[in-house]
Amino acid sequence: MGVRPPQHGVLAIRALVLSAALLAAGLGFVVFLQFGASDGFDSFDVLRALLIFASTFWLAWGAFTALMGLTTRPPRPAAMSGPLRAMTAILVPVYNEDPVATFARIAAMDASLRATGQGDRFHFAILSDTRNEEVAARERIWFLRLLADTHGEGRIFYRRRTSNKGRKAGNIEDFIKRAGAAYTYAIILDADSLMEGETMVEMVRRMEAAPDLGLLQTLPTVIRAKSRFGRIMQFSAAFYSPVFARGLAMMQGRTGPFWGHNAIVRVRAFAESCGLPELSGKPPFGGHILSHDYVEAALLARAGWTVRVDDDLSGSYEEAPENIIDHAKRDRRWCQGNLQHSRLIFAPGLKPWSRFVFLQGILAYIAPGFWLAFLAASIAAPIFAPPINYFPIEYWPFPVLPVSQVSKALGLAIGIGGLLFLPKLLILLDATLRRRAQAFGGGMRALQSTLAELLFSSLTAPIFLMYQTRSVLQVLRGADGGWPAQTRGDGTLSFRDAWAASHWIVTTGGLVLVMAQWLSPQLVLWLLPVALPMVLAPAIIAWSSRPSRTRLFTIGTERSPAPVMDLHDAVLSRWETEIDRRSAA
Amino acid sequence: MMDLSQPDQFDLDRLAEDLGALPDAPLAMPIQRLEPEARPGLLSIFLPRLNRMRKAGH
Repeated sequence: MGVRPPQHGVLAIRALVLSAALLAAGLGFVVFLQFGASDGFDSFDVLRALLIFASTFWLAWGAFTALMGLTTRPPRPAAMSGPLRAMTAILVPVYNEDPVATFARIAAMDASLRATGQGDRFHFAILSDTRNEEVAARERIWFLRLLADTHGEGRIFYRRRTSNKGRKAGNIEDFIKRAGAAYTYAIILDADSLMEGETMVEMVRRMEAAPDLGLLQTLPTVIRAKSRFGRIMQFSAAFYSPVFARGLAMMQGRTGPFWGHNAIVRVRAFAESCGLPELSGKPPFGGHILSHDYVEAALLARAGWTVRVDDDLSGSYEEAPENIIDHAKRDRRWCQGNLQHSRLIFAPGLKPWSRFVFLQGILAYIAPGFWLAFLAASIAAPIFAPPINYFPIEYWPFPVLPVSQVSKALGLAIGIGGLLFLPKLLILLDATLRRRAQAFGGGMRALQSTLAELLFSSLTAPIFLMYQTRSVLQVLRGADGGWPAQTRGDGTLSFRDAWAASHWIVTTGGLVLVMAQWLSPQLVLWLLPVALPMVLAPAIIAWSSRPSRTRLFTIGTERSPAPVMDLHDAVLSRWETEIDRRSAA
Repeated sequence: MMDLSQPDQFDLDRLAEDLGALPDAPLAMPIQRLEPEARPGLLSIFLPRLNRMRKAGH
């Protein structure tokens, strides 16, 4: 693909959001400097103001992205009509997953595709990287069952690699090298992905209508969450994410994202552009590229292909962790992958936005460290503060008392709180006005759910802050995650499990309060919103992993499951009944 | 076509391998260059001179 002119509208939006975020961060810097200098100016004040600048910039960037997303509705891109001619492979990489649940999803998607009348244009390829022989044996048995159920011989394939070199990226690459020439497009899924047949057909139609489109990403909706944590995250993803994704789409232009699954690629473009090298040196920064999806998106864009996220496409689903520990484990992998991108920021020929995306991914994990450093510096600041000079004016007989700057601190706190909460409240307002809230149980239920989500995310933010900071430190040290034993099947955690995974957070929270009481007693009240959730971390983690029975956090697919979800349930129920019958016999 | 509803009758592993075989349609996937080539920086022009220099007294 040739070089194409920049999109001026996209550049203008990027400049606008960047300027607004820098302005907000600059304001935070100045206000904090005035506050910090009230008891005498020292280098700690500058350090803390700089940390406020960095943290506020990151918050403001997210907030203004959401505001951008509220200003427009998703456009409906062009799509071809009529019968499909091109062949599409639906790739389902698996790695030690339960074959019954995974293959039941394939049976459901196959049925959904056949219902569109275009099923003969799609093949499924189960790409197994499973290392556990027992699971692999079950995969083979259930693959045959899948073929029998769907009459899928010649349409549904299964292959297991002898070595899982390159992990998921290597798995896809192996497929392309063996069979890629047989297909024009490939829909890349995860083991827990589920897509409507209509959605997949529409994705192919959009690819057909745009010959320069190398990759089209959908915005998957999280489904089937059962726990309190899972349902809150599910609500959050369904309610807020489309707006954030819309804002990002406006800034990305032709350099959109790839999130690794629930996306379609043009096989030739992907093959020509996305062969990933092993990075020189040892892990964590060398070796296989872990977060390969971001890199593949950047490589497609480098080669001149358009990468686009179409946030208007519905019928794309995924599942998500049911508790904080599983979420943090996944986050630990993503953290390592994102920090590894520091090696690629200056890779030759990348688009500036791709480099910025790498930087954003790194900042997502580094930014919590700025807050932590700010807290530590604030607690320690009184040690280094110069003594107050009550007689700063020569020959003036009366003492000059320092002016209270509490109003500035309050203003700053309100400003930062506003950046955190305002976008979500505006999304609520927008959803209510545009009747999108109907799918979430109506305006009142959506309001209650949003307020409860804000409370929950405020409680869990310090816990995630600690996990993310530890992840960064572990990656930099080249250490393993060191997680305790597996959680139970439904994701429920006992207090003991939660304690094992978070006792160090409790200790840190306790230390923060003790140090603050000792060095800066006036800070204790300010620190409580951060330190208290840390002290209560095991209780929060265990409580939030329990099954949710509230009517809050309702989303559309809970009220009315998507057709492909019903198909999946039907297949799964039939297969599980069969397993029970065999076990009983 | 075999009756797949009676899988116990077959060597399942072999059958899964045969029926699961991907289409034979290879496609090249060249490795991309992601790391900048190590190019000599400005300071490197001094290195040969430094290497040639001998410490006094040796």
